[in-house]
Amino acid sequence: MSSETTTGAFEPTPSTVERLHVAGLHAPTDAVLSVRDLNVRFNSENGVVHAVRGVDFDLLAGKTLGIVGESGSGKSVTSLAIMGLLPPTAEVTGSVRLHGSELLGLSDKAMCAYRGNDLAMVFQDPLSSLTPVYTVGAQIVEALTIHNPAMSKQAKEARAVELLAMVGIPSPKDRLRAFPHEFSGGMRQRVMIAIAIANNPRVLIADEPTTALDVTIQAQVLEVLHTAQEETGAAVVMITHDLGVVAGMADDIMVMYAGKPVETGMVDEIYYNPRMPYTLGLLGAVPRVDVSEKSSLIPIEGIPPNLIHAPTGCSFAPRCPLATDACLEGEPALLPVAGSGPHSAACIKSDSLGQDVDGHEVFSAPPVPVSRFDAIPRNERATVLQLNDVRKHFPLTKGALLKKRIGTVKAVDGLSFDIREGECFSIVGESGSGKTTTLLEIMEFHKDQDGEVVIGGISNKKATDARTKSAMRRELQMVFQDPTGALDPRFTVYEVLAEPLQNAGMDKPAIRKRIMELMKLVGLQPDHVNRFPNQFSGGQRQRIGIARALAVNPKLVVLDEPVSALDVSVQAGVINLLDKLRAELGLSYLLVAHDLSVVRHISNRVAVMYLGKIVEVGEVDRVFDNPRHPYTRALLSAIPVPDPHLERTRERIILKGDLPSPLDAPKGCNFATRCPVFAALPAPKQEKCLTLEPPLEAAGPSSAVQVLEAGSAEPVDQRFACFFPDGELDEEMLVVHDSAEHNAP
Amino acid sequence: MLRYLAKRGFTYLVMIFLTTSAGYFLAVSSLKPALLEQERIPRPTPEQVANSMRLKGLDPDLNPWERYVDWLTGIVTRWDWGRSPNGAFINAEFGDRVWISTRLFLASIVLTLVIGVALGVYSAARQYKFQDRVITSYSYLAYIVPAPIAYFLVQLGAININETVGNRIFFVTGISTPGMEPGWAQFVDMVGHYAVPTVAITLVGWGSYQIAQRQYLLDNVNADFVRTARAKGLTRNQAISRHALRVSFIPVAQSIAFTIPAIFAGGFFAEKIFAWPGVGSWSIDAISLQDVNAATATLAYGSVIFALGAILADFATTLVDPRVRVQ
Amino acid sequence: MTNLNAVDPAAVAQDAHLENADVVIGKSTIIFRRFLRNKTAVAGLVIFLALVVFSFVGNFFTTWDKETIDPFNIGMPPSAEHYLGTSQAGIDLYAMTVEGTRISILIGLIVGLVSVLIAAVYGCTMAYFGGKVDKVMLFVLEALIMMPALLVVAVATSGGGANFKQNLPSWLLLIIVLLIFSWMGTARLIRSLSMSLMQRDFVKAAQYMGVPPRRIVWRHLVPNIGSLLVLDITRGVTGAILAEVAFSFIGIGIKVPDVSLGVLIGAATSQVQTFPWMFWVPLAVMFLLTGSLAMMNDGLRDAFDPSSSSVGKARKTSARKNRAEMKTP
Repeated sequence: MSSETTTGAFEPTPSTVERLHVAGLHAPTDAVLSVRDLNVRFNSENGVVHAVRGVDFDLLAGKTLGIVGESGSGKSVTSLAIMGLLPPTAEVTGSVRLHGSELLGLSDKAMCAYRGNDLAMVFQDPLSSLTPVYTVGAQIVEALTIHNPAMSKQAKEARAVELLAMVGIPSPKDRLRAFPHEFSGGMRQRVMIAIAIANNPRVLIADEPTTALDVTIQAQVLEVLHTAQEETGAAVVMITHDLGVVAGMADDIMVMYAGKPVETGMVDEIYYNPRMPYTLGLLGAVPRVDVSEKSSLIPIEGIPPNLIHAPTGCSFAPRCPLATDACLEGEPALLPVAGSGPHSAACIKSDSLGQDVDGHEVFSAPPVPVSRFDAIPRNERATVLQLNDVRKHFPLTKGALLKKRIGTVKAVDGLSFDIREGECFSIVGESGSGKTTTLLEIMEFHKDQDGEVVIGGISNKKATDARTKSAMRRELQMVFQDPTGALDPRFTVYEVLAEPLQNAGMDKPAIRKRIMELMKLVGLQPDHVNRFPNQFSGGQRQRIGIARALAVNPKLVVLDEPVSALDVSVQAGVINLLDKLRAELGLSYLLVAHDLSVVRHISNRVAVMYLGKIVEVGEVDRVFDNPRHPYTRALLSAIPVPDPHLERTRERIILKGDLPSPLDAPKGCNFATRCPVFAALPAPKQEKCLTLEPPLEAAGPSSAVQVLEAGSAEPVDQRFACFFPDGELDEEMLVVHDSAEHNAP
Repeated sequence: MLRYLAKRGFTYLVMIFLTTSAGYFLAVSSLKPALLEQERIPRPTPEQVANSMRLKGLDPDLNPWERYVDWLTGIVTRWDWGRSPNGAFINAEFGDRVWISTRLFLASIVLTLVIGVALGVYSAARQYKFQDRVITSYSYLAYIVPAPIAYFLVQLGAININETVGNRIFFVTGISTPGMEPGWAQFVDMVGHYAVPTVAITLVGWGSYQIAQRQYLLDNVNADFVRTARAKGLTRNQAISRHALRVSFIPVAQSIAFTIPAIFAGGFFAEKIFAWPGVGSWSIDAISLQDVNAATATLAYGSVIFALGAILADFATTLVDPRVRVQ
Repeated sequence: MTNLNAVDPAAVAQDAHLENADVVIGKSTIIFRRFLRNKTAVAGLVIFLALVVFSFVGNFFTTWDKETIDPFNIGMPPSAEHYLGTSQAGIDLYAMTVEGTRISILIGLIVGLVSVLIAAVYGCTMAYFGGKVDKVMLFVLEALIMMPALLVVAVATSGGGANFKQNLPSWLLLIIVLLIFSWMGTARLIRSLSMSLMQRDFVKAAQYMGVPPRRIVWRHLVPNIGSLLVLDITRGVTGAILAEVAFSFIGIGIKVPDVSLGVLIGAATSQVQTFPWMFWVPLAVMFLLTGSLAMMNDGLRDAFDPSSSSVGKARKTSARKNRAEMKTP
């Protein structure tokens, strides 16, 4: 941030004027924040990383700009550069003007007058973003004190209470004195938002504010951000990798790739009329939670370029299916395209793209694989895994030093389900719902477990000798969430894949042969076997993990959030691979995921868990299209869809609060404390929910469904645990955004 | 909290008991006071030696277990830690020596901590600059010098100063000059005696605290919460001093409590070099004088100090880290 | 590090840092390259190796040995005959220094290596079994930490210890005692590191594959704590050398007729004014020894630490300079 370079760069040279015109999202005169030709360079051990290359945008008061990109696209660095929070070693050039006054090149001290006052920011990880040793109140008050030194102590405290109430923290007055560790992640993110809006900022930058949170909490936090924007009238920059999150919120979108904006424009233009192959690919790479039609996802092959080398052509060209030699000659500029609103794309072929181009064709998405089991009715297929009334209770202790037992956590409470050959069964739920514990109970089966786990026809109760155990182990393998942590960094790929084979007692030549097979199977080059995991990209590492799981030909593969650590474009490839393997090898999957879109795309059946119990289970399309349990309804409604029209108009259920502490779990229905149906019930009916535990059963279909199902005699594969399915929802928990304001051009 | 303390206290009590007992057996089976008695002139007969030992409760004819039971009974029933071969009572001597040791180390402990932590913060703020390099290099140097040699070198330095000035400013050994009149002269004498050991112990001690504090602070300088504080409108330095510094105290607070036993334990060397008759030098003398009871008593004392340090560490952590506070 | 029992905050800080920074690195060659890139560390290695060689072949350069008295040269300063002068007893100081260096290095290496070995076995066992076994072993460990090592050293080497003393030279006795009291800190560290490794997905993956525990420990745990072990060995060697010098200095470690650097330094303190070389020469050797080890440790730590910035910085300044030049046409 050397001052000479900055001021030098913002001389009104012809190129800047041109830029003003080209960037042209809005007339720059009334912009709150205008950014021109922002460039950020870092020095690394390997050379200079050009992290942000020429970002321009204007932000109008009360409007929202969504910056979308994958990791390493420069979106977070852009926001930190605007805030002046990059380390001093970073070199920032260009111009950032707030109400016309230049911010770049200001000293740290001068910048402080703006930070937290006119410019505020909400960060990604709420768990580490609050100082652990100060109370939440003190941290909010600090934000007030810095910019209002004259404010009285009482006034500041009153304002802090007001802010906490605004972001939806219950009993805000008492919570002022609480420490951050006493809050859940979602609550801490609310506190972060309260701090950010404390001084009514003109610009609020939110950097992936909901990435670390559950979907239900994400919906809450997005709602709080919406409220905050309404209260303060701030312009918002929303940075995300999730095209769904910004679809309903943003007015404008900027898609970034390799440090450069590759497409900018009005939100509808970007979603319905993408003119850059990368945007097209991104939109097709995300599965849709609201669509049952099965089609393969668009995989974007390859990985983003290394920003150390200056690109000679279009930086997306190496991954672009439409790339020609012309794409490699000079980087294409961001130029306006024909359309119904301001819209620019950096692609020489942008004119040939548009509404009627199907991403699936452009990226040649693979055909939908068909498993040989798909034709066989479910109950005629063999059972590969069965759980009967499995329970796992932990003692709940209090105090970090002196452990005192104060209750029992029913992490898994009477779970029963089965998985048949060739099917994918998914478990969904918020963190804390017991999905991970369920996996552990299956993977760490032993005879003293509470409940029965039957793997490949052998019950855990008979797993007494090593032979039976290893026979059971061979039937089931696991793929982990974090592909990096799951591979020993000191093993070559060959050693990683050889481990299960050696363990199965295979001889050397056979192992070699099998490893080559596996590499081809998961789409990796067989001659890469001597590389170490850190020489592969995240997606490739996950493929290695899948190959290892498949090494011993298991019947069932347990997938623990297999794609959640991966970038969107890479996710698609891995999901397609999993789909293909299931069909080709006749595998069964047990999938745990928090991303319901992924679940809908890949599974046949789904179970929704809440506080250790299954609240709804059944065929995936049936559960997703016609959810009966209020929790399933809320969960599905919380998922943002990458479709701006739909996002703006649909009503969504915003659950109150977090997952309750296990101690507060009521006697009757677990969900009653947060249930939108319960809240709207008359008292006598509420009594039933509070005293009786609803059983998981296939109740009579609702009237609407009855009409549809009139012809079929087959029993419906959907069971749920609720006394009042399809009940009226509480008004307070329903939110519909006014769509008119967003539709205005 | 109280229950927790009681539980910890009990665990340490058991540990102290076990280490002390183990120490007693080691001492009783390897130290033979009777051997020294026989070197006296005129040489006493074995019977005389045995008699005199028996009177002092050091009967060499009893087996170690019987002596252990006797010794333990004495402590439990009468709080009597026994006698030395020369007839002195351990209890009486012990009090004097603990007081001497405490006086020797108290100032050093405070100075070590204050200087170490302060320099740690200072050098972290100037990371990789000249001041940081000098301070941190010194700390690493202090790391590779054995404490007694460092003390000895400081002593040499003090002697050199005395010789250069031609006047005895610093006393390099002893606690005080006997027979001083109370008043200014006595105060100057006291300062003269305290200065050298205090400086020596402090010079050797602060290095590890400086390195630790520097490291912890640097670990926190780029923490997410510091970024949040800056986003509120604090300058980088303000954010670090108000947020990172406070958090970096958490691990240091824990180690601060351990300084006390560490310095006491290291005190053997200081007391030996500066000839202060404290607990540390007593323990070594006890061994050369074949004094079983004194050796065991000093060992027990060391264990108690260690346990106190550990409990103090818990306290300190609770004080600075709200996350471990027990409601 | 003179007191073996003291909790060393600097070491703890460093270890915590290592643990956070993820000690696990892909290839040993990278580490080796990074080590070689660190000039200080290489210098340390060279000095240390030179001292080791000196301690073994140094005797061939003089006709004197550590026992022969030269009645014509008593308490003489360095000369052509006696490179480093003679002691008051007329023994060649050069020969004694060579011998003392060898004993000190021997003590350092044996104690450093063996104590880390004990620590690794003890720590891994605790982490692997967990539960009751872990609790009991932790109790024993803490009890040992509480024992003032110095007292036991004193008892074993000076007091009675009569039965050992006749059979064992005092340096071997010191090694044994130092060993007993030097492995606890490392053991505790290895325990916590192994425990966190046990939680890592790649260990779980191996468990779920049904790989036997023994093989998991050997193939996954041990290589992954290897870097920590290497660091602890160099630190342990330094600590043992310092402890030997400290104990011998105040007269409770190695006893005459055995020679070590500590004994030489300690014996010379009374005549430091009159025969300064007797004091400063062995002290300088000790500094070279511990200093070279500290330099190596520093380089190793940087080599293991992926976030080390020493190299990146040099390039940065040059890069900045280049840009500055480009900007001024």
